[in-house]
Amino acid sequence: MFLAQLKNELWKLFGKKRTYIGFGAFVVAQTVMLLMFKYTRWQGQFERLLAGNGYLASDYISALTVALIMLVPQILLLMPLYVTLVGGDLVAKEAEDGTLRMILSRPISRVRLLLVKWVAGTIFSAVLVLALGAIALGFARMLFPWKGMFVVGELPHQIFALFPPGEGLRLYLFAHLFMAVNAVAMLSVAGMFSCFNMKPAAATILALSFLFMSMVMEHIPFFEAYQNWFITYHFAAWVLVFQTPVPWPQIIQSEIILLAVSATAFVIGAMAFQMRDIKS
Amino acid sequence: MIELRNVFKIFAGRTAVDDLSFTVPRGEIFGLLGHNGAGKSTAIGMMLGQVWPTSGEVKICGHDVQTNRRDALLPVGAIFETPVFYDYLSGARNLEILSTYTAPTSRARIREVVEWVGLTGREQSKVRTYSHGMRSRLALAQALLPKPELLILDEPSDGLDPEGIHEMRQTILRLQRELGLTILLSSHLLNEVEQLCTRIAVLQNGKKVFEGNVADVKSARGKVALKTSDFAKATKLLHERGLITAMELEKYISLAEGRSTADITLALVAAGIPVDGIWQHEQTVEDFYLNLIKPPAAKK
Repeated sequence: MFLAQLKNELWKLFGKKRTYIGFGAFVVAQTVMLLMFKYTRWQGQFERLLAGNGYLASDYISALTVALIMLVPQILLLMPLYVTLVGGDLVAKEAEDGTLRMILSRPISRVRLLLVKWVAGTIFSAVLVLALGAIALGFARMLFPWKGMFVVGELPHQIFALFPPGEGLRLYLFAHLFMAVNAVAMLSVAGMFSCFNMKPAAATILALSFLFMSMVMEHIPFFEAYQNWFITYHFAAWVLVFQTPVPWPQIIQSEIILLAVSATAFVIGAMAFQMRDIKS
Repeated sequence: MIELRNVFKIFAGRTAVDDLSFTVPRGEIFGLLGHNGAGKSTAIGMMLGQVWPTSGEVKICGHDVQTNRRDALLPVGAIFETPVFYDYLSGARNLEILSTYTAPTSRARIREVVEWVGLTGREQSKVRTYSHGMRSRLALAQALLPKPELLILDEPSDGLDPEGIHEMRQTILRLQRELGLTILLSSHLLNEVEQLCTRIAVLQNGKKVFEGNVADVKSARGKVALKTSDFAKATKLLHERGLITAMELEKYISLAEGRSTADITLALVAAGIPVDGIWQHEQTVEDFYLNLIKPPAAKK
């Protein structure tokens, strides 16, 4: 029965147009970034950086390198927006539309209903991240060759690394697994707010405010010693897979914290949802 | 089938339902009346486990809705005032989705219900293309899917045109006749309640102010209609002789205790006032309801 409910929840989620706003925005943003990289001085900067460090630029200005370059701003800016948009809808949109009242006239428990919705949201988050990675790589491959991967910059960890294509692809895929965990944590926070008596837009805005506030505070020098306490600090764990050697303890710690945040948000949301009165 | 015992609901210091108790036996069509904000929807919300009572007990088929919601709601179907669905999905898909919240439902059962409500041929169309009447039928279909024993209808005719209201009324009667359902109906349409319900309860400011049979309400001693060429002169005379206690609308009189229409006729004819007609006015549920909820000063 849980699977049947989950299947139907996915029908509801993927049946509405607003679910695809994120996918559409990624396609547009990636097309713009790809063309800018190809036809502006942006590409030249990377070539000079590689040459300055004694590497042949033509070996590393590749589909994998460009895909990762395109990914970073989208993971930081667009992904939270679209994931929290769906997370904010989880309960609040059904309450606003009136369909929640119809569902709750049936003998399903609220916790079970929320669990089904949360699992559907988790699947959406994973699909969104995978689509983001696949679109970035697919688009980049259309204009750039399949060669080695070059990773550079404050992402926010200082990284300068070069990988052969096979290893680069493996790390690229690995990074997406951790990005999906980020997306689930963002969705869970928005889903938690959505369980309270508020409009879906309010739940999304609250979740985004929470994330941006965490990011701002994390970067205030006073809080440098407490960075571990901010959720956004742990969102950067995916970048660590490109470090050599890979700091697995740090990555695992961040992933556990993000999963714990997701679980906590779910429990708080479930309690709020269970206690509230559902009225027309 | 439904049992509410000393139920209170307080929202932020405001009492929405105040010591409400009533029972609905199996097979009955029970009407819940009251103006907007009287507490009808809150009471229905508590029956469906959507609103938590501040105190008191709500039972459906003997199961407490708060502690055993699953068993309590298994035999229940519900329709709300404005039928809302996932507009971007088909009617059939909506039914499939909603049925999974109760129990696994076969496609054959969905087809059967779609046919019962008269939506065959349109079930694969997106709900956004449905008229209000079709949405009401779809709402009925979703309520019937789990083969309920009890139907809770919260303003089911809201927003329907006269033809739709008539159709809904016939459907409710058919539901009881063919499927033997117990029905709790909340409605503003007093004429509809009168034609459908066997018993009613009236809520005012969250309190139950009346509960009884519709037949009793209609046969209650009411007003007498008097048709005469000079109503003012006639009522002045009748009042002076202590035969009536009140009159209204240049048409109705209320008889004094122990007096009959024959006494009135005799008195008027003896005084030379012609009587064109005199008859016991049958009280409608609307008359009864309006009189009941009138502020005390306005009552005669």
